[in-house]
Amino acid sequence: MSRSICIGIDVGSTTAKCVVVDAGNMEIIWSKYERHETRQAEKVLELLTQIHTDLPHLSSSDIKAFITGSGAGPLKDIIGARFVQEVNAVALAVEKLHPDVNSVVELGGQDAKIILFKDNPETGERQIITSMNDKCASGTGATIDKCVLKVGLEREALSGLQFNDKKIHHVAAKCGVFAETDIVNLIKSGVPAAEVLCSLADAIVMQNLSVLTRGNTLTAKVLLLGGPNTYLPFLQQCWKQRIPQTWQERGYEPENSESSDELILVPDNAEYYAAFGAVVFGMAEQSEEIKYHGVSLLADFILHGRKEKLGDSADKGLLSGQSELNTFRQQYQIPVFQPAHFEKETVIKGYIGLDGGSTSSKAVLIDEQGELLCKQYQLSKGNPIQDAKELLQKIKVYAQEQQCELEVLGFGATGYAADVLEKSTRCDVNVVETVAHMMSAKESCGEDIDVICDIGGQDIKVLFLQHGQIKNFRLSNQCSAGNGMLLQAMADQFGVKVEQFSDVAFNAELSPKFSYGCAVFLDTDRVNFQKEGFSKEELFAGLAKVLPKNVWQYVVQIPRMSELGTKFVLQGGTQYNQAAVKAQVDYIKERVPDAEVVVHPYCGEAGAFGAALEAKRAVNRRGYSTFIGLDETIGLKYTSRTDEETRCTFCENNCSRTFIDTETPDGEMSRYIAGFSCEKGTVESKEAVVKLNKERRKLKADYPNLVDYEANMVFRRLPKDKVIKTAEVDNALSSKILSLLSLRKKQLADRGALEALRNAFRVGIPRVLNNYSNAPFMRAYLEAVGLKSNNIVFSDQTSEELWNEGGKYGAIDPCYPAKVSLAHVHHLLYKKNNRKSLNAIWFPCITKIQSFTSQMSASTTCPVVAGTPKVAGAAFTKEKNHFEEHGIDYLDAAIDFTDKKLLEQQLFEIWSPLLQLTADENHQACVRGWQAMHTVDIELQRRGLEVLTEAEKNNTIALLMLGRPYHNDPGLNHEILEEFQSLGYPVLSIRSIPKDTGYLKRFFHDDIEKGLIKDVFDITDVWPENYSVNSVQKVWAAKFAARHPNVAVLDLSSFKCGHDAPSYGIVDQIMSVSKTPYMAMHDIDANKPGGSIKIRVKTYAYALERYQEKLNDRSASINELEKRVKQKRLDLLQQHIKQFNSDLFIEDSEKWNKIGQQYQQYLKESSDKQDSGFEKVVAIENAGVNVQFSGDLLRQRDDKQRLRAKRYREISEQVALEEEKMMGGENK
Amino acid sequence: MMENNVFQVDFDAVEKEVRFYQKEQAELLNIESAVQQQWVDKNPTSFHRNERATTTVLFGGLTLMQDAFIQAACTGIGYRFQALDCPDNDAMQVGKEFGNRGQCNPTYFTVGNLVKYLIYLRDVEGLGTKEIIDSYIFTTAGACGPCRFGLYVTEYRKALRDAGFEGFRVLLFESAGGVRQGGEELGLDFSPKFFKAMFKAIILGDVINLLAYRIRPYEKTEGEVNKILESCQQLIIDRLEKNKNVIPALRETKRKLSVIELDCLRVKPKVSVIGEFWAMTTEGDGNYHLQKFLEKEGAEVDIQPVTNWTLYMIWAAQYDARQQLKLKLSWKQKTGLSKKLILLKLADVVMKAWFNRYAKAAGLNDYHLADMELLAKDSHAYYANELRGGEGHMEVGKLIQAVKYQKSHLVVSVKPFGCMPSSGVSDGVQSLVTGQYPEANFLAIETSGDGAVNVYSRLQMALFKARKKAQQDMDNVMAEIKINADDIQRKANKQNPKTVNIYPSHRCASTAANRVYQLFDR
Repeated sequence: MSRSICIGIDVGSTTAKCVVVDAGNMEIIWSKYERHETRQAEKVLELLTQIHTDLPHLSSSDIKAFITGSGAGPLKDIIGARFVQEVNAVALAVEKLHPDVNSVVELGGQDAKIILFKDNPETGERQIITSMNDKCASGTGATIDKCVLKVGLEREALSGLQFNDKKIHHVAAKCGVFAETDIVNLIKSGVPAAEVLCSLADAIVMQNLSVLTRGNTLTAKVLLLGGPNTYLPFLQQCWKQRIPQTWQERGYEPENSESSDELILVPDNAEYYAAFGAVVFGMAEQSEEIKYHGVSLLADFILHGRKEKLGDSADKGLLSGQSELNTFRQQYQIPVFQPAHFEKETVIKGYIGLDGGSTSSKAVLIDEQGELLCKQYQLSKGNPIQDAKELLQKIKVYAQEQQCELEVLGFGATGYAADVLEKSTRCDVNVVETVAHMMSAKESCGEDIDVICDIGGQDIKVLFLQHGQIKNFRLSNQCSAGNGMLLQAMADQFGVKVEQFSDVAFNAELSPKFSYGCAVFLDTDRVNFQKEGFSKEELFAGLAKVLPKNVWQYVVQIPRMSELGTKFVLQGGTQYNQAAVKAQVDYIKERVPDAEVVVHPYCGEAGAFGAALEAKRAVNRRGYSTFIGLDETIGLKYTSRTDEETRCTFCENNCSRTFIDTETPDGEMSRYIAGFSCEKGTVESKEAVVKLNKERRKLKADYPNLVDYEANMVFRRLPKDKVIKTAEVDNALSSKILSLLSLRKKQLADRGALEALRNAFRVGIPRVLNNYSNAPFMRAYLEAVGLKSNNIVFSDQTSEELWNEGGKYGAIDPCYPAKVSLAHVHHLLYKKNNRKSLNAIWFPCITKIQSFTSQMSASTTCPVVAGTPKVAGAAFTKEKNHFEEHGIDYLDAAIDFTDKKLLEQQLFEIWSPLLQLTADENHQACVRGWQAMHTVDIELQRRGLEVLTEAEKNNTIALLMLGRPYHNDPGLNHEILEEFQSLGYPVLSIRSIPKDTGYLKRFFHDDIEKGLIKDVFDITDVWPENYSVNSVQKVWAAKFAARHPNVAVLDLSSFKCGHDAPSYGIVDQIMSVSKTPYMAMHDIDANKPGGSIKIRVKTYAYALERYQEKLNDRSASINELEKRVKQKRLDLLQQHIKQFNSDLFIEDSEKWNKIGQQYQQYLKESSDKQDSGFEKVVAIENAGVNVQFSGDLLRQRDDKQRLRAKRYREISEQVALEEEKMMGGENK
Repeated sequence: MMENNVFQVDFDAVEKEVRFYQKEQAELLNIESAVQQQWVDKNPTSFHRNERATTTVLFGGLTLMQDAFIQAACTGIGYRFQALDCPDNDAMQVGKEFGNRGQCNPTYFTVGNLVKYLIYLRDVEGLGTKEIIDSYIFTTAGACGPCRFGLYVTEYRKALRDAGFEGFRVLLFESAGGVRQGGEELGLDFSPKFFKAMFKAIILGDVINLLAYRIRPYEKTEGEVNKILESCQQLIIDRLEKNKNVIPALRETKRKLSVIELDCLRVKPKVSVIGEFWAMTTEGDGNYHLQKFLEKEGAEVDIQPVTNWTLYMIWAAQYDARQQLKLKLSWKQKTGLSKKLILLKLADVVMKAWFNRYAKAAGLNDYHLADMELLAKDSHAYYANELRGGEGHMEVGKLIQAVKYQKSHLVVSVKPFGCMPSSGVSDGVQSLVTGQYPEANFLAIETSGDGAVNVYSRLQMALFKARKKAQQDMDNVMAEIKINADDIQRKANKQNPKTVNIYPSHRCASTAANRVYQLFDR
């Protein structure tokens, strides 16, 4: 009888593995593992052929084949193999080979999986819980591969690399693109390769532990599987260090106290587990009989079959024929640059510009007229100073080769490396990339450009110009792709030089339709298309075609491109790729038929060229250069150090920093500090921090940041005398005095016990989400029912530390504000509670909140925000009940802030069992809560009014943050607002905008007159579907900014924010039609994208400066107009007087005064009657008057409040008197 | 006119000249041009009765069956209704091009689907933009949140504006039944007659869909169920278009379906598809043809009827009214609330009776619409009943019930990438539910229009476990009745021909096991 043989095949995203198993004893008799270089079918054919060669006695009829892995789908039928899902396969293999293993972590090329084995206590059954990464958590093998390439570490060095947790830098492993961006920044800051990779490993491990485990604990033994876990010792070490830490945190102790090497293990032959498991699975499930076909059908499929299957789903190629290519090339081929040639011994005078980009660095030399003389390029080698030295050396060689002398008149730097170079070379300008690109495009393509589209290695920048100045701009956020790196990476994967990309792509007759968006998603698509059988030509063409979609639909988001203008300049290194240019030109011309698309002649070096031009301008204006010199730069000695000594200790973040010390040949030293997350990281001594703090305080006073002020104020205790007593309390008190007294009578008996209970009661409240709106109410309510103020404890503001400690319990991955809430609950449980025990944590599901806006269809909060308390509750009761363990009541019942009566009832139901409240106490506490809310509102508006008045008076700009209340948390807004504050812009929050109708009428008067809105708080003119309260407030604030000349806007939204997304288009329309300066930072997430923030802040600051100039010009024009009008009036008056009464003489000043007075009177009366459009313009400019007016209104209101307060005091005294009488009576 | 007592100066004349001069100088100084323009969302919604005959009302978004029935029912009451095709990936691409970034994919699919159709009318059919705007309107349901479902109409307007169809009318009918437009001579009259036609179509669609998903997995001849259903669908459409009673058509459906040969003894895992409303309802690219895929993989799919959603809306209104009744209100307010509660109860009873009547006529036996009170009670400890948006507490409740009452072997919760109530809250809570009910086989999948391979792979992973559970059910029933496979076969061969094609009543999740109970009269 012949042996029954099973073949297990595992086709992953990067490798193919095969095992041959004897079905009798389940022994592996043959195995092989190879990279398939994206040729899955070919590699499987090769492996199968090899099996038949090595085991010639096997007959196909004895073989059963089982196939697993992400590439298995299209091959299963052709081979005649039973498909087995890979996680099942691995789980079965582990169950069979390691019955004592409880957890498995497998990292593959494109995915990550976690398998947990748990015993069901009821049934005794061993259950398998599996989870795979969702699309956004792609920090796996492919990311590691790319980053290894970037740091330039050899494979041998990699296998010797040891994990060191002492030098970990921030890397966001949430997504491959985020991680790469951070890695590039670290490399550019000179962080050594080993540290970069350890940081990446740590980030990936932490990401998997916090997200992929879905809140479960990886109990021992833990098996590490998959390529990266098998071959990267530093990654294994990282797991072995981090997993036991989670055990400790969660109070889990492995049953047998073995060393972590025994508890967390990497088995031999780990790469074959899926293939072997497929066989185990297949053997167990006999229901479906599939006949193994051998290799012939597969060979045939590779030769002929794949193409046929592609069907109609494909798109066209890039070209319709050779003639089209010729025409295209004639028009768009970038002429080959010829460096300028000089006679021997000429002194070449010029300016150098250097652009330290993400993947490559470029430098150019221009002459005194701005003509390009030579350009140099190199792939970045890791350290920006090293790159600069080498590039400048190349420029020097260029002069030397011609036996000329080079005199550098100035030096400008841009790009990621500019900050380091500014310190070490004292360059003349450190210019933000966007401005460098604008300068460059204008110089080469003329002043009449409408749009500049720059596609670099990592970023996409699109600038919109008007009259030669940046009118608006869009930058790719972290979640965008289709950039140069992707094309490069794709070319690399297919072993094609990037220069030949277009030659390959132009050969395609059809192309797969990629979904545009994130690079990780695109790569997933690529793997799928490849499996479907698309050739590399077609894939290249498809990728080129997705590029314009990424630029115009994903980054720019302006569907009607014709609105942008007609002259488009394409620049950035990617434009050397003709396929990319062709796709762009086709896309633009299809939408703007009369467009003129120009490719920048030095597209790759456009940034460097712009920096050189800017250096030239700066040196000419200044009269001298600050640059240390060419030879000095080339001779720079530098050291880069990251260790415990360089760590910043000025706050609890303890950021790891890198010191780059440079020394010029003449011995001058300079230090550049990289890697810090706040300003304190820029200094080294305590004295310097004190000085810095002093400067900051002054700055904060001069340019208030009301977002920050609000973030602190809402959680603080309000001084009693500051609380504004509203009418409600009067009524409540006066009408209920009697009932109150009778109730209190009963209560007085056990008052002592009650007081003691309430005095000692401690409540923790997470400082998150809509608590940023309602905290004043919550605090005042609790204080009013008798809790001590210091027994109401809020978690700290969000910080990286807080997130890292408590962010690992969640089972889902929603927006950052929601998932960080779990870390806040953790903080209360384990930090605040440890300090002094808490009795309860109050994290209510807030379903609705009040809004100042009107005509709303509802006032609901976001469902994620409302439901997060339940998610947090689930996370901390799932494996064990953390609350119960600490004797804490977790209070997450729903409350509704829009229905006062309902709220009262809901609060009573929550608190009465715990604090033994009476209904009246509860009612009074609610009244106090509302008073606190009102007080906070008035105080914030008062501050807001001050800021606006100041801005109007001085004709300056105030920056309004459009955000949801919790974006006030500096841990959520990444302190972007402070960046602007430090540039001299005061910052307003939505809550701090004065809500005085009188004040606001001046902005909304016209709209009310036209019948577009009913009142100043109505937004139905722009958004009739207005029920999402926080988004509605954002839209209203956008409308306010659009009507206030001194307000510019910074719009913040969190990644995955479902309620903000529909308002993006609305806010954008409001801003662009009114031409209000506007910058959006959507997709804010856990990681702080330092590089991206910096470039945005700098570019926006540049735009704000231009806007300030515009304001100044306008103000000057109005002053001039007033002057001219006054003069004209005087002239006319004289003429008229002369006409009517020629003997009246001007010298008589008294008479003149009378005429003046009459005239004033006349003007006053006529201006009351008339209200021409023009006068309104002037009225807006003369806002001071109105502000004064509004200030008066607020004062009047304050007076009313004082009266009410007086009345309140009177009633209180009356109550006290009554009580006293009663007490006296009882005593008697 | 100013009085000039002292000097005869004509201030008016002076001022007139000054004003003229001021204007002229302002222009010279470029001040006038700086007056800020403001954006206003043109939101055209006018549709008059006299346009009804010449205007096509586009709609879509439910199951194919329901869309077809709505079209027919509205034709029956005098409208020109036209259902859009099931949205495909091309529609999603169009939606992405013209929609806001960061939207969930039902938005892209449905918004893109409308724009795609209008582009087709313009570019392929050759209609002018004005003609399209004049002779077509689109109608959709709205809601006051809190999920972004209610904001779709904002997205429709944005996409239409950006795609060059500014002025195209999108009319919103509140899912709660209100009317948004003013005016008397409404083109689209959201009257009781209109809603009756709508609900009729929805319930009919549910009944036929449920029948189809029940029996298709067990048909002996592949494709027979679909073939017969097609003709039955036409029968119903014919009645609806003539606004006639549909009961005879349903009875005919029952008769036609009863002759299909079934083999309910096939052990198949039963899979409940729950999740976000659109993702679990659509039958195309929007959920990777989920239902079809599951059937292909050998599962019986337990779908969620749209009627449940209506019942949930009624329940929510009842719940809120009851909460209000607890408060200190005036007598008048209390009476108002009590009246409201009575009306809501009536609505609930009517909906259920309506459904049951159609179900009985069509042969959908032993099917029970979800008990909303029980669902709310079962889920409240995990998911506050006050939390609304999407399916609210229903997702959590359905999973609990699937386990507690042995409804299925696998619960697949399908939702768009980043769905707020579903992946942002429910899934987080489900991790606790699965912890407390370890026997639950639960799989949450996110859709985003790509990456189908991963989704299928995960489904297959979960189906493996579900198959084992289905077999376990069968083993249990055999152990309970003390029979073996041969006994069952023998009994099956001798069964009463009248009961052959009757889908067995629910005893456990497995239909095959239920069939055994039925065969052995247990």
